[in-house]
Amino acid sequence: MKQTILREIAHSRSGEKGNHSNVSVIAYELADYPILLEQVTVAAVRKLYGPITRGSITRYEVPSIGALNFVLEDVLEGGRSRTLAFEESGKALSSLMMTLPMTVPDSYIERSTNTLKKDTQ
Amino acid sequence: MKRIRLGSATGWSRDRFEPASALVRDGNINYLCFDSMSEVTMSAAQVARMENGDTVPYDPYLDDRMRPIIKACKEKGIKIITNQGWLDPQAAAERVLAIAREEGIADLKVAAVSGGLLLDRLEELDLTFIENGARVSSSPDKIVSAETYLGAEGIVQALRDGADIVITTRVADACVYLGPLAYEFGWDFNDHHLMAKGMIIGHLLECGCQVSGGYFADPGYKDVLDLHNVGNPIVEVTDAHVIISKLPNTGGVVCEATCKEQLLYEVQDPSRYLCPDVIADLTRVTFRQIGKDQVEVFIDQAGLPKTPTLKALIGLEEGYMTEEMVLFAGPGALERAELTREILTERFKRVDLVAEEIRMDYIGLNAVHRESSGEAPSAPYEVVLRIALKTRTRKEADKLRREVDPLAVNGASGTGKWATSSPGSRVRPVVGLSSALVPRELVPFSVSIHSL
Repeated sequence: MKQTILREIAHSRSGEKGNHSNVSVIAYELADYPILLEQVTVAAVRKLYGPITRGSITRYEVPSIGALNFVLEDVLEGGRSRTLAFEESGKALSSLMMTLPMTVPDSYIERSTNTLKKDTQ
Repeated sequence: MKRIRLGSATGWSRDRFEPASALVRDGNINYLCFDSMSEVTMSAAQVARMENGDTVPYDPYLDDRMRPIIKACKEKGIKIITNQGWLDPQAAAERVLAIAREEGIADLKVAAVSGGLLLDRLEELDLTFIENGARVSSSPDKIVSAETYLGAEGIVQALRDGADIVITTRVADACVYLGPLAYEFGWDFNDHHLMAKGMIIGHLLECGCQVSGGYFADPGYKDVLDLHNVGNPIVEVTDAHVIISKLPNTGGVVCEATCKEQLLYEVQDPSRYLCPDVIADLTRVTFRQIGKDQVEVFIDQAGLPKTPTLKALIGLEEGYMTEEMVLFAGPGALERAELTREILTERFKRVDLVAEEIRMDYIGLNAVHRESSGEAPSAPYEVVLRIALKTRTRKEADKLRREVDPLAVNGASGTGKWATSSPGSRVRPVVGLSSALVPRELVPFSVSIHSL
């Protein structure tokens, strides 16, 4: 097994809903969804977002597209309309998710070294 | 088989202008749809009107959006659906007629879809805030805006009335797509699976090119070509298929990954995506790449009956906020920024600053992910100290700039200045948004027709 980060396995998009933010985690390959299910847990995500998330963190599973959806409650210091945060929309929160440490088999081909990125080319 | 093509002109009020013209010229579309709203749009418009009575009550970009396309749309039979009516869709419709006259259009029907504005009805409705359960009508903060998210029925009625252009007040963003689809295919609003189909299509298209390569690129991981010319999405719908594509000869990409990101965008529980006309189960949606920049969307019986309530947004006057920045670079940049922070903290005590909240961040280190930021370099080359605060009165907020400007001569060595030549105050009013649920039968909509 080897250590990597979530950015090598999945992609993410985040946004705002009032004072909450959602951060999706989407496997590049459907076959990797079980890795996400096992390792991208609420506890792991709380380690990243805990210092700014005053409310609960909920994980929703979307196996049909190999994705998880995290909802961080009370994370925007009042929401876009009243926050003092420099980044007010939650749209930049997805990149923090990408730093999550992950363990994968030695043979795993990481996204940055995969020369067959057919999906976006 | 009937085939309808919808083009997504904008994903929000300040989106790019060119895609609308390109879609009309090359998109072979039946409808051109504009979403011009975010959560803060209506309250911000209300505040702008209070500060300057000459501000129009609809999207100030209405002219710039409509003028380049209105004649070509009329000639080609492309109908326009837009939520740029904001506080007064009827005034927006009249303005569009004036533009049409100036562009030499002889006959045109513009429909305004109104309703949903609750500001004058708050006593009678007796709502409670979702956030804290308090009664809206006894809020200690002055309420400056209140409106519901309407569904798509008004748009359908407007199209039945023969409108070439439909301008609405706030409807749920996806409704500018659901409306024309429900009209064209004769969908029954009680058929929740069909409503969900239209709502999900709208949800995928409502943010414009966020489904066609915008807000997606991550070099080396997700490479996207020619984002400077990203093509806005088009959806083609029949009873048998839903296909998302984009204009040929544009940048961006339509792939399964872009569709998946947009499917979950700003969603909470994906199995219960709440909309005015339906609850949509997004876990019953899949995608398949069927060609270059072409993705087929499969929506499998994804509807649940709608809720008995509509969501309302309520804008509350909550004082003022302001921000300043102080710039440092080179050796000791961080230490000098930290010293400046200490100086300001002491100065705030001396001038008896009464603030409800103060944030001081170091841009370059921890301003974006805030307290969740990764480990910072010990000696960053550049650091920008950003100070933001929130106060009850404008006078208190004004104290910040009065303390920051003098740092040019009495602060740390090499203190750089930001936008000090901009005169006056950067203080702005805070209009906080809270929400409430309103029984839907208490929020009627109306459609008016404005003709040339």
